[in-house]
Amino acid sequence: MMNALLNSWVMVSERRHSASTAFVLHSIPWRETSQIVELFSAEHGRIPLVAKGARRPRSALRGLLQPFQPLRVTWFGAGELRTLKQAEWQGGVPLLKGSALFCGFYLNELLLRLLVRDDPHQNLFELYQQALVQLATHAPFEPVLRAFEVNLLRELGYALQLTHEADGRCPIDPEAHYTYAVELGPVRLTQQVAQSSNTVQFIGKTLLDMARGHYENISTLNQSKQLMRVLLGHYLGGQDLHSRRIIQELPLL
Amino acid sequence: MNAPTALETLVESLRCLPGVGPRSAQRMAFYLLQHDRDGAERLAQALSGALITIHHCSQCNNFTEAEVCELCASERRDGRLLCVIESPADLLMMEQTHAYKGQYFVLMGRISPLDGIGPQEIRLDRLVKRACNGVTEEIILATNFTAEGEATAHAISELLRPKGLRVSRIARGLPVGGELEYVDSGTLAQALLERRSATD
Repeated sequence: MMNALLNSWVMVSERRHSASTAFVLHSIPWRETSQIVELFSAEHGRIPLVAKGARRPRSALRGLLQPFQPLRVTWFGAGELRTLKQAEWQGGVPLLKGSALFCGFYLNELLLRLLVRDDPHQNLFELYQQALVQLATHAPFEPVLRAFEVNLLRELGYALQLTHEADGRCPIDPEAHYTYAVELGPVRLTQQVAQSSNTVQFIGKTLLDMARGHYENISTLNQSKQLMRVLLGHYLGGQDLHSRRIIQELPLL
Repeated sequence: MNAPTALETLVESLRCLPGVGPRSAQRMAFYLLQHDRDGAERLAQALSGALITIHHCSQCNNFTEAEVCELCASERRDGRLLCVIESPADLLMMEQTHAYKGQYFVLMGRISPLDGIGPQEIRLDRLVKRACNGVTEEIILATNFTAEGEATAHAISELLRPKGLRVSRIARGLPVGGELEYVDSGTLAQALLERRSATD
């Protein structure tokens, strides 16, 4: 009887083995020699795994569970916190260097704060990987970050209304002034309000450029940065991002 | 609720040690009280003594009992070189190499944006002050080759290069005696990217 039970338990737990390509978003030390890694996996979304013994001096995992590098990861377990079985270095994304590293931390913090665990986002995973490759290959940082932010909100189901006003009918006029009503969309401002109001405002061209993913224009870059800060602030529940504060403290970007 | 007894306070205090959970803490407390009261007395005195006498060296930030630690005070160390490391354990490793005769600065941490640890939290301003003493010529960044260690190295280099100091980073690649067949792919890939001219 016990054996039969044990056998069926072994079978169930074996079936719960999973594998996926994944990135480490963050890890924290756990107990004396282990760590808990928060992964962003292609097929299972954000998942926490305990990497047992990963902090032992001669562990094969030591040095492998670093952020910004794609890994082939297998794990098992049924609860929320699963157990890492194996991780293999996959390659294909050059190491982030210098200021790009801080941008990478910023992307990771956004994902940690906005992704719900066990919610697969395969598209977003590919966009994240692309953004890392762009950051690693010396693309200008800000366009990469803005495009990722817009993509992130869309993939999470908070797609921005960028081509039409909040009512969904009037197309955006590149010359006109707008403000953005969170969760609704752009609201056109009259000349008078535009001059007196102190809300975040921008011209229509900024929205249209964002919709196309074009950030070459300086004014588009500046205005989209302010807009995204307000919008992300809303979805982050008004809490500041550590990585943004630290980037501002350093003479980096 | 009653105030915790002396025993409960002791068990709870022992739990602050790394790797010590409630059970081990209880075992330690009973051991000290039952079998080794002298040892407990020595431990108590050593702890409070250490807390009073040990502080950070005003030069290198490492633990010391003096105002300036022995290593910083030594005249045999080359004051033109300053090696920046994350922890006192790293300093011991560097010393074991017998390859470095300069001075050190111990950060006692590293920049870790996701944990909210930035340049202010690890007090990089003290390092900048130390590096700009007029004697130091080269800063050797020996922080870890983790994402956080690399970020820390980059931040320090951005802060110190404008001050006219030469900033270098320790090299990364195959270990001494390393065989390609047995080395991990990540290290090998990076060694290939960071290859250098063979005529050096």
